[in-house]
Amino acid sequence: MEKETVTLTIDGKTATVPKGTNVVDAAKSIGIEIPIFCYHEKMIRLGCCRMCLVEVEKMPKLMTACTIDATEGMVVKNDTPKVVKGRQGVLEFTLLNHPLDCPVCDKGGECPLQDNTFNYGAGDTRMEFKRFNNVKKKELSPVITLDRERCIACQRCTTFSEVIERDQALVMHNRGFHNDIGTFNDQPYDTRFSGNVIDICPVGALTNSIFRFQARTWDLDNSKTLCAHCACNCNIEFGARENELMRIVSRPNDAVDDGWICDKGRFGYEFVASQNRILEPGIRKDGEMHVASLDEACDETVSKLKSIVEEHGPKSVGFIGSPFASNEELYLYQKLMRMGVGTNNIDFKAYKDTPGLPVSHYDFTDIESADLTVLIGCDPTEELPILDLRIKKAVIRLGRRLIVLNDQKTLMDKYASLSLRYDVGSDEVALGGLAKAVAEGLKQDGAPKVDNLKRASGIKVDEMRDFAGKMTSAKKVCVIYNPAALSGNSVAIVKNLLSILDKNPEGECGAIPAAPATNALGAMDMGILPDFYPGGISLSDDSKIKEIWGESAPTEKGFTTCEMFGKAASGDLKALVVFRSNPIVDFPGGDKIEEALKKVEFLVAHDMLHTETTALAHVVIPSIGPGFDEGTTTNVGGRVQYRRKGLKAESFPDWRVLAKLLSGFEIEAKYLDSFTVTAELAKKVPGYEEIRRGSIQKEGKTRPAQASVNGQTPEVTSPGSSGDGFKLRVAEKLFSKNKILESDSALAHHFSEPKAILNSVDAEKLGIKTGDRVKVSAGNRDLSIEAEVEDNCNPGAVVVSNAGDEYRVLALIQDHNATVQVSKE
Amino acid sequence: MTKILFKDIDVEGLTTLKVYQKLGGYSSLKKAFSMKPEEVLNEVKNSGLRGRGGAGFPTGLKWSFLAKDSFPRYFACNADESEPGTCKDRILLEKNPHLLIEGLIVSSYACLIETGYIYFRGEFQDVADLMDEAIAEAYKKGYLGKNIMGSGFNFDLYTHLGAGAYICGEESALLNSLTGMRGEPRSKPPFPAVQGLYDKPTVINNVETVCAVPWIVNEGSEAYKSIGTEKSTGTKLVSVSGHVNKPANVEIDLGTPVSKIIEMCGGMRDGNKLKAFIPGGSSVPMLGIEHIDVPYDYESLKEAGSMLGSGALIVMDETTNIVEATMRLAYFYMHESCGKCTPCREGTRWLYQMLGEVLNRRGSPETVKTLQDACDNMAMKTFCPLADAAVAPVVSSIELFPEDYESFFAEASATAG
Repeated sequence: MEKETVTLTIDGKTATVPKGTNVVDAAKSIGIEIPIFCYHEKMIRLGCCRMCLVEVEKMPKLMTACTIDATEGMVVKNDTPKVVKGRQGVLEFTLLNHPLDCPVCDKGGECPLQDNTFNYGAGDTRMEFKRFNNVKKKELSPVITLDRERCIACQRCTTFSEVIERDQALVMHNRGFHNDIGTFNDQPYDTRFSGNVIDICPVGALTNSIFRFQARTWDLDNSKTLCAHCACNCNIEFGARENELMRIVSRPNDAVDDGWICDKGRFGYEFVASQNRILEPGIRKDGEMHVASLDEACDETVSKLKSIVEEHGPKSVGFIGSPFASNEELYLYQKLMRMGVGTNNIDFKAYKDTPGLPVSHYDFTDIESADLTVLIGCDPTEELPILDLRIKKAVIRLGRRLIVLNDQKTLMDKYASLSLRYDVGSDEVALGGLAKAVAEGLKQDGAPKVDNLKRASGIKVDEMRDFAGKMTSAKKVCVIYNPAALSGNSVAIVKNLLSILDKNPEGECGAIPAAPATNALGAMDMGILPDFYPGGISLSDDSKIKEIWGESAPTEKGFTTCEMFGKAASGDLKALVVFRSNPIVDFPGGDKIEEALKKVEFLVAHDMLHTETTALAHVVIPSIGPGFDEGTTTNVGGRVQYRRKGLKAESFPDWRVLAKLLSGFEIEAKYLDSFTVTAELAKKVPGYEEIRRGSIQKEGKTRPAQASVNGQTPEVTSPGSSGDGFKLRVAEKLFSKNKILESDSALAHHFSEPKAILNSVDAEKLGIKTGDRVKVSAGNRDLSIEAEVEDNCNPGAVVVSNAGDEYRVLALIQDHNATVQVSKE
Repeated sequence: MTKILFKDIDVEGLTTLKVYQKLGGYSSLKKAFSMKPEEVLNEVKNSGLRGRGGAGFPTGLKWSFLAKDSFPRYFACNADESEPGTCKDRILLEKNPHLLIEGLIVSSYACLIETGYIYFRGEFQDVADLMDEAIAEAYKKGYLGKNIMGSGFNFDLYTHLGAGAYICGEESALLNSLTGMRGEPRSKPPFPAVQGLYDKPTVINNVETVCAVPWIVNEGSEAYKSIGTEKSTGTKLVSVSGHVNKPANVEIDLGTPVSKIIEMCGGMRDGNKLKAFIPGGSSVPMLGIEHIDVPYDYESLKEAGSMLGSGALIVMDETTNIVEATMRLAYFYMHESCGKCTPCREGTRWLYQMLGEVLNRRGSPETVKTLQDACDNMAMKTFCPLADAAVAPVVSSIELFPEDYESFFAEASATAG
């Protein structure tokens, strides 16, 4: 649909802009600057700073260009004496009580007030009274410090809190000259997105407590890079000085982050200089770890792997990859394992997932244009925070609708027009029921057989029909599902559901497979899967594999991570290469995995930080990781972007480690830099043909999704009984105390102990009240934590938040059903 | 002088429905319900009634701007009477609450509105309590609620107390405050008639305006038009304060000369000579003695260089220190600026500082020049008219009484010894 446009004249130049554009943006579109403080293109029009005064023909008084729409034939004058005087007046008022501490101000050099004063100010002031003194250092939170004297009360920050975050946590207090930003009862302003107010503050009032007085902005070496925490891959600018990371600011990319980043992305970077970093390679000899050179470590790895392959065959070697690494690193690793070792024992995850979609792979911007977004098993607020903001924007500001299907309550529920909760562990039944209801609604076949929806999942058939009805009546549906929160056949059922919904002649649909880890999608694209080659080529597609990878390419199905641990425990898997992954803590089953890893004859850990897994390794190789590495990552929207380095690493980049290992296996690996690897994978990975340094330089590039290979109607299995126990639902936390956010992190104030959240029905039966200590146990593992009675999940389950590595919450998952016992202490 | 609003104002027990009704109260409902809503609207439009809150916008015209086909609509009655010198609404609210209720029912009927709010300034607790009692009586009698007097028209009325901010008398700030938000003016357009309370079409009228509606409906628009001048029809309450012998609220026919109004209030204090007067509340420019006979109506006062405003006549005699009086007004605006717009937030404080400088005999012609320029930089450059109001007394006092300022200059006092 073409948007209606209007044509106006600004300073004699004509501009044609979409209807509804304000005059500031219209001017910007033709290269005319209208100065602003309070207006921000992503927020609402405030009109309070009065900086953008312009003359508009036929209007008696000066108008604020930010609050008025451009209209057909409008004549705007931006440089008349009246305008110049008006703006000089506004700047004089703005500066009346603004301290002149620019020489020590963090904003100096990138300050709109400095710039506007320079460009539009009178150059002098007539203020002859003492400037008003105010608080110079008020800690709004452990990471944000307010210099009240510098505040010009533009309300950008409070508007952000109200309109973007929708928390109204930061508000304006008092009146007139004494107005003051703050929070209710002076509680800390510590939301998930609070740091954005530092970026949007047009003066040096809101400052980054960590960066405060640490460096001048013009002394920073800025690197346009990507956040490496969750799978949104928000764009950030990495400011370093003398090879030390000083700060991270947002770098707006409308297709990804819409200009915002979360606090984890902004402040959670201490890992780049952590004491826990692996700096030198090591080889274990006689049980002791000895420092080795990289060549020695690589040689040891190659020779050991070769001899194990020779003795036990390639199936005795496995690889556990990382969803946090770049596409290049993962590509090279699968190449090493497949072409060098000759095995498909390659995986990176504990959940079941397959590459490809039967429908379009939607980008984040599609959430805004879709009239209905469906969240399945997703908790964007904790898992993919920037999606949380995008969904709120779509629902509240753009009038789109949201419906939610999940086994636990999330903060997104309050924005949903319908929210259904299935019993923990019954996702297959619930999704099967939804697919069936959608198929019925569209009069289509092909849905799985589901009986007893209500009994098996807790959702009534009518409710599910209502849910499905919303999906079939929408013109554009965006389905966001988290494969990591689904079990069994669920991902296949979701894809089945999507292909049925796609048959709706009245609407279109697409999906975002939202696994939360940084590059989980890229890892699948790069073939870190036991049953797919890069680009989603199934092992059954023998000819294509041979065409791309040659005759010797292995086509026997490899082991999944879980199978690898099983084989390791039984002694069948002799060697395991673990790349930036810590299965002992991050995979369900903890202790069993630890025992299994101990049995592996040769364990190689290639990691950035020391972990429980690296402690068991026979060879340890340092990985440089985000901040130091260069490469591409693919976010959940399918967008491939360029992660630049911001700091110079002292050890070798990972691609060089891999080049050494590949050479050891007599595979040519003459890479000059990370982008020569990109060039190779562009040739070898279907879908990545267009990915080049140049093509992804700015906003990145979406790669086309592979077609999904699931042809048959998936089977739906009813959940097994948990006996007298409870099903465990582990809820992800954005600020979890782990190897990345260590205990001394700037975000430590967000850390909390895990809680056992019980349904009120169960709590009453057990006589448990909020605040009681309870023991959550499974096998030989138990966790003594505080209980909270809140209907976050249906009866029969307990939600425990994954609050940190030390709690080993995932180790409580010991069987297929994830059954735990809960008792009052 | 015709008495419309003050007709029975001093009758004992007027606050009760019984007495009010005995004196003919609520009679306009029957008449109104026998007409179509748009006929009532046209009657008010034709009467020439203009908003009594300050801007003087024709009431019927305002009603006709309501966005078509957008429901529900709301009525917000502005009882945030805070303009310095103004106390006319208070009298009506204290002494004749049922008149406002009757006016609101009829006005809402005309505008197809079923929900109304009376927004009181925070200090009006006692008045609001009284209104709550009156509303309860009206509900009991069936004048409020569902199907009023069998007409099929429903109307619910609520009272709301502000938190004591002058700015909440500005209509869009009032709406913000009424919904629990910070009392700051909104951007216009959209105007409240299109997107007001809860983003729905909303009529906002002053207490006095609404109170005139029942009489117009009962007696007809022609009768109303016959009072006052051609463009300023009807009667107006004037709160006379300052240096008169008997400060009072008086009801006048629009067009009555100011000198006559002063006379109605017992003439000048101690027989002193008039120095200046502010005709329409502190937000309008002051006028000098040469305008003593100006007819008190919208057009004549505008022609004289001021405005009728809220109808508060502040009279100052020859003993008045104009600089000090101006500074007191500047203090008020500094205190009441909501702080949203930079020129107002910073400028009102600067004006106060500079006036203090003059008054403390540290000023110079330069100070006055800066004062005037700062006023120019504030005027018409903010969201709402508060900044314009703040500069009005400063600009007009400098213009009318430059010698008063000069007498305080540093060198002037030095020569005076």
